[in-house]
Amino acid sequence: MAAAAQAHSLLFNPHQKPSHRRPSNRIRPLTITAASNAPITGRKLRVAVIGGGPAGSSAAEALAAGGIETFLFERNNTKTPKPCGGAIPLCMLDEFDIPLHLVDRRVTRMKIVSPSNLTVDFGSKTLKPHEYIPMLRREVLDSFLRSRAESAGAQLVPALVTRLDVPSSAAEPYLIHHNLNGQIRTLAVDAVVGADGANSRVAKSINAGDYAVAMAFQERIRLPDDKMEYYRDLAEMYVGDDVSPDFYAWVFPKCDHVAVGTGTVSSKQSIKLYQQGIRQRVSQKISGGRVIRVEAHPIPEHPRPVRVRGRVALIGDAAGYVTKCSGEGIYFAARSGRMCGEAIVKASEGGDKAIGEADLRREYLRQWDGEFATTFRFLDGLQRVFYRSNAAREALVELCGDEYVQRMTFDSYLYKRLAERNGWEDLRMFAGTVGSLIRCRIVGRARGYGGEVELLNRFV
Amino acid sequence: MSISTTLLSPPPTATSRLLFHTPTRPALFLRPTTFLRLSAPRASVENGAGIPASSAAVAVEEPAKAKPEAAEKESSNGAAASKFVDGRWIGGTWDLKQFKKDGSMETDWDAVIDAEARRRKWLEANPESTSNDDLIVFDTSIIPWWAWVKRYHLPEAELLNGRAAMIGFFMAYFVDSLTGVGLVDQMGNFFCKTLLFVAVVGVLVIRKNEDLETVKKLVEETTFYDKQWQAAWKDENTGSSKKE
Repeated sequence: MAAAAQAHSLLFNPHQKPSHRRPSNRIRPLTITAASNAPITGRKLRVAVIGGGPAGSSAAEALAAGGIETFLFERNNTKTPKPCGGAIPLCMLDEFDIPLHLVDRRVTRMKIVSPSNLTVDFGSKTLKPHEYIPMLRREVLDSFLRSRAESAGAQLVPALVTRLDVPSSAAEPYLIHHNLNGQIRTLAVDAVVGADGANSRVAKSINAGDYAVAMAFQERIRLPDDKMEYYRDLAEMYVGDDVSPDFYAWVFPKCDHVAVGTGTVSSKQSIKLYQQGIRQRVSQKISGGRVIRVEAHPIPEHPRPVRVRGRVALIGDAAGYVTKCSGEGIYFAARSGRMCGEAIVKASEGGDKAIGEADLRREYLRQWDGEFATTFRFLDGLQRVFYRSNAAREALVELCGDEYVQRMTFDSYLYKRLAERNGWEDLRMFAGTVGSLIRCRIVGRARGYGGEVELLNRFV
Repeated sequence: MSISTTLLSPPPTATSRLLFHTPTRPALFLRPTTFLRLSAPRASVENGAGIPASSAAVAVEEPAKAKPEAAEKESSNGAAASKFVDGRWIGGTWDLKQFKKDGSMETDWDAVIDAEARRRKWLEANPESTSNDDLIVFDTSIIPWWAWVKRYHLPEAELLNGRAAMIGFFMAYFVDSLTGVGLVDQMGNFFCKTLLFVAVVGVLVIRKNEDLETVKKLVEETTFYDKQWQAAWKDENTGSSKKE
């Protein structure tokens, strides 16, 4: 020990540094500090999770299972449908122990349709027999997760949170003002997990900053039986300037109806126009249908500038964890909830110690970014390249016909992992991508389409 | 034309217009184009299928909000629902036999590319609805690679090579006149080789003044999303990592 300490001082003694070092690069003596959080006496750490969706429920479950006193706030405990696609990746069933009876439908085929109506079948050849995309009703999934969090020990507070008071020092608690059955009450907690969705009040209270949102608009349409049979296990994606300038339009089968919708970031005021567009495109397939519900919801496009401040952490939609290109958010909400909950449990050593911002950053943010930031960035890249113009969308659909592409896509979506890459196939896929983009751009441009795949401007 | 009268009779409400494809057929009959001959038999086949659906009319609950926008779009929707028709477009793909060059057995790929370009442009303005019965199966990979190269790559390559050669010749002359180093000796020097590389890449990448702006914008765009993810860590790096 002494020898090591001596070697340490020798190595870092500034007077012995080699002469060729630049003076500005002075090595200071290395200081290592170890700090530990203050223990809490007489009670466990109290954490409030605001928002009882997949993110909040997973966080509450992880917290309660770890021994923390957890309060789960949810303003809407009735089973009103939430506007949502309702598709989850297959791995979520395993990872979150979701019982199969909650799954309404198993989507085993997908069709992607280009602006010129070129239709590519996605999955009929490449999905293995045991693979599918589970479709659930959000209200069913959410209430299941909430009740499971309750059984793990979280206290469900069916109230609307009206205000969050941020304390000025580390010793003071956060005050959550909420409306419980018409009475205004206040709860004091040590830490807060904000899981209250795209219009997060928690995010506003901590000045987390804003994010760009896409507007998703959908109509639920009950179809006659023969038309519904077509969509029994099929989901469709439509791309084109007539249905969305920067996203896609969809027809997703739900329990006994289909959801026909579209989304956009840049032209929210024209969303009704795009909805018209998608209705027009699928008019033959949904003729005879009856609209039973119209809904719209914002979808975050990127993470908020601040996701952790003080002892408040944002998760799920509140943090902005929605992928580009596909708009998937449920799985990431649940995972971030679990990760945040486990981070707090670990940092507080089972609820016995106080926690601080650095703990949340280290255990939650860093883990999250390390695991998923690449996925998010990759999908952003895909969106940038393929949703730019009709020509690029045509290329996207052409590419989707390739089996290797389909396999890669399914593996990364269903299991959230990168499948085994085959070097040659990768090269072929890349060459195919470039080729398709070039060809479609030429065809699109030949009569003044206005395609804007600038990157390929050089090679054409 | 009993079919057309049945079609013209249902009230053109926003609701039926949106859900039923067939009531918009009248627009097709009003078009005084050659397409009429080819489209009429097609239309009647579809109408046969469409009428039972429309007669089994179901109550439609449209939210009041959608009505004004829908009514606005009615007229354009009416014109837009016509299908793309061309003598050579058969069964959802181009009939390559009709694209033969005069007197030979080879397909005129340039004409195929032009026809497809025209079709896509037409579809931009008049989006078609998809149907399960006539699927589109044409995709650009049907056209062989050399047709693309011959028509689009080669002329551009000729232009760029010409530019590169001219720049190269004058730069070599210029350097020689300044330093006295001949062409062969210039090529042996690492610095000269680097300059050559920069010149070649420059000719390829920058063809107009606007390209510089485009490259800058592209770089900024590609890193934008990454910056949004890094934003959460900016606070920490600027030293506000005090524990609270």
